Amino acid sequence: MNDLQNIRNILVLLLGIFGGTFLRAESLIDSTKVFSDFNFETSNEDSEYNKNLKTTTEFFEFDDCDVCGCGSSGGSMGYGTIGNGDFVGLRYITQQYQSRDGIYNNSPWIDENFNTMQAWARIPISQKIKLNVIVPYHFHNRQFADGTSQKINGLGDISILGFYRLISPKLDGFLPEQQTKFKHNLEVGVGVKLPTGEYDRANNEGSVNPSFQVGTGSWDVLLASNYSVSHKNWGLGLLANYTIKTENDQKYHFGNQFNYGVNVFRTFNTMNAKTFTPVSISPVLGVSGEVFGENESYGLAVKDTKGNVLFSRIGVESTYGKIAGGVNVMLPVSQDLNGGAVEAKFRLGIHLNFVL
Amino acid sequence: MNFNYIKSLVLILAISITACSSDDDNNSLSGENKLRVEFDNGVNGDDLLLGAATYTNTNGETLTINRFNYIVSNFVLIDAEGNEFTYPKDDSYFVISEENELTEVVLENIPAGKYVALKFGVGVDQEKYQQGAEGQGNFLQIAEDNEMMWSWQAGYKFLNFEGTFTSETVTEPTVFQIHMGSHGSSLDNYREVTLQLPTQALVSDNLSPVVHMAIDANQVLDGQHKIKLSEKAVIMIDEVKSPQISENVNGMFRVDHVHNGDNIQH
Repeated sequence: MNDLQNIRNILVLLLGIFGGTFLRAESLIDSTKVFSDFNFETSNEDSEYNKNLKTTTEFFEFDDCDVCGCGSSGGSMGYGTIGNGDFVGLRYITQQYQSRDGIYNNSPWIDENFNTMQAWARIPISQKIKLNVIVPYHFHNRQFADGTSQKINGLGDISILGFYRLISPKLDGFLPEQQTKFKHNLEVGVGVKLPTGEYDRANNEGSVNPSFQVGTGSWDVLLASNYSVSHKNWGLGLLANYTIKTENDQKYHFGNQFNYGVNVFRTFNTMNAKTFTPVSISPVLGVSGEVFGENESYGLAVKDTKGNVLFSRIGVESTYGKIAGGVNVMLPVSQDLNGGAVEAKFRLGIHLNFVL
Repeated sequence: MNFNYIKSLVLILAISITACSSDDDNNSLSGENKLRVEFDNGVNGDDLLLGAATYTNTNGETLTINRFNYIVSNFVLIDAEGNEFTYPKDDSYFVISEENELTEVVLENIPAGKYVALKFGVGVDQEKYQQGAEGQGNFLQIAEDNEMMWSWQAGYKFLNFEGTFTSETVTEPTVFQIHMGSHGSSLDNYREVTLQLPTQALVSDNLSPVVHMAIDANQVLDGQHKIKLSEKAVIMIDEVKSPQISENVNGMFRVDHVHNGDNIQH
């Protein structure tokens, strides 16, 4: 109950902030297109403004491999998304699963709620190198068929990644020949996930979701890549990343995980005419998927632990000056998790960032 | 230019996808510990709910099961090298009873090892029965408490399977009783089952595995032999049907999975 209240408070807070932003944005005078953002499209009229704006809005996306620090509760939700270059912020993620408590067709289903509040940041080290840090706090709960419930909460597994930009979008000049139609952006990252979240083997017993944990208890290697291309106000993003998981000190080894995603977005820009604060709104549509390898216990495969899930994704991202936020909803399109014993139902992510 | 981007992307994807596999070696196991065998009773893919659920078998008969008790005995564990560990015979008789919630067999003092198969008998073997009433120890009382005895002379019921049924010809719910066993020493229905474990069961000082079995009560009547209740609803001493039921019962056991770990509670 407390968790639910927390969630509601967070939602109300975020909606309040964004609601306010949007209301103010509505009242703006949209003097043609005052500025065009994302350094993707630049017409001659806009370029003066653009030069004044720090181009903080590159396409950026990295999947959070381990939202809850464990198997199928990882997220291909993305780290931020479009719009925020370097930032510090907060993201709240809620995920709903059902898992079967037993081995039979009529075994009862357990409702599982995974909630995560994370502090996250993308810190520039140089023009081409960025450091990504995620510090999650999880508060999960599940309700059993007999009416009892279980709660776990605590610090999750901290992830630190370094990203290197291989291809940077070219900045457009004034002359038509200095302008490119398609802007490409490619970055690759490598990092580590620390075993800062507590792993409790007892939660892995029985036939219920083996991912009901706040951490994997393992040191994991993260490999990530993001590619985006944009044309005018349209953008397309591709992402792929892989988590190499290792055996934890309780001899449990979560399966490796592959995440991928495709997103299409369009950005609408305007500006607050009084303060010259740039405002943008970007609806996002996409699909993203996760593929999980088989878990091992004492070096032996654990039955029904591999699987895959494909989500559709709809969201909206917005910036108001240095403040950026967004809401993303993910619904499963197809899934085969844990031999059918686990079903992903719903995911929601809300973030609020301060653009650096 | 574009081609280079694609090449880089493909390269990165390839690097990302390359997995590293670990082949952890279990350090040699030592000591001894418990091994639990959980008998998770079901029927036709569903959990068995006594008196609550009805289901129709391939004989076209609709059953409500009210009792599902059986005797398991003479446990043997087989390790990866083919060595057999035979559990002490005097302690190796157990009643599994859905109604009395006896669904777990705890084997104590199992030597460390990596076990790949489990062998046990259904019922009570002639050797044990020949030891006479005194030779049965506590088990005689346990069997009586769980409706698993006819009388000492008639012997143990290896299976006590009861409920009601309907069929095309029997439209009113009618009681059925399947009591299968050896009848004295004249009809021996004791049979052994060997089951491969899908995952090795690891036993050591700090490893106490659970072998989780799925038992399909439907097999009693709807196994390799098709036993129609509409022909005979009470089967106790039947020289034809009792051995057939015994063979059917042998086919109802399956190991669903193995939990390795300290498994203090399952």
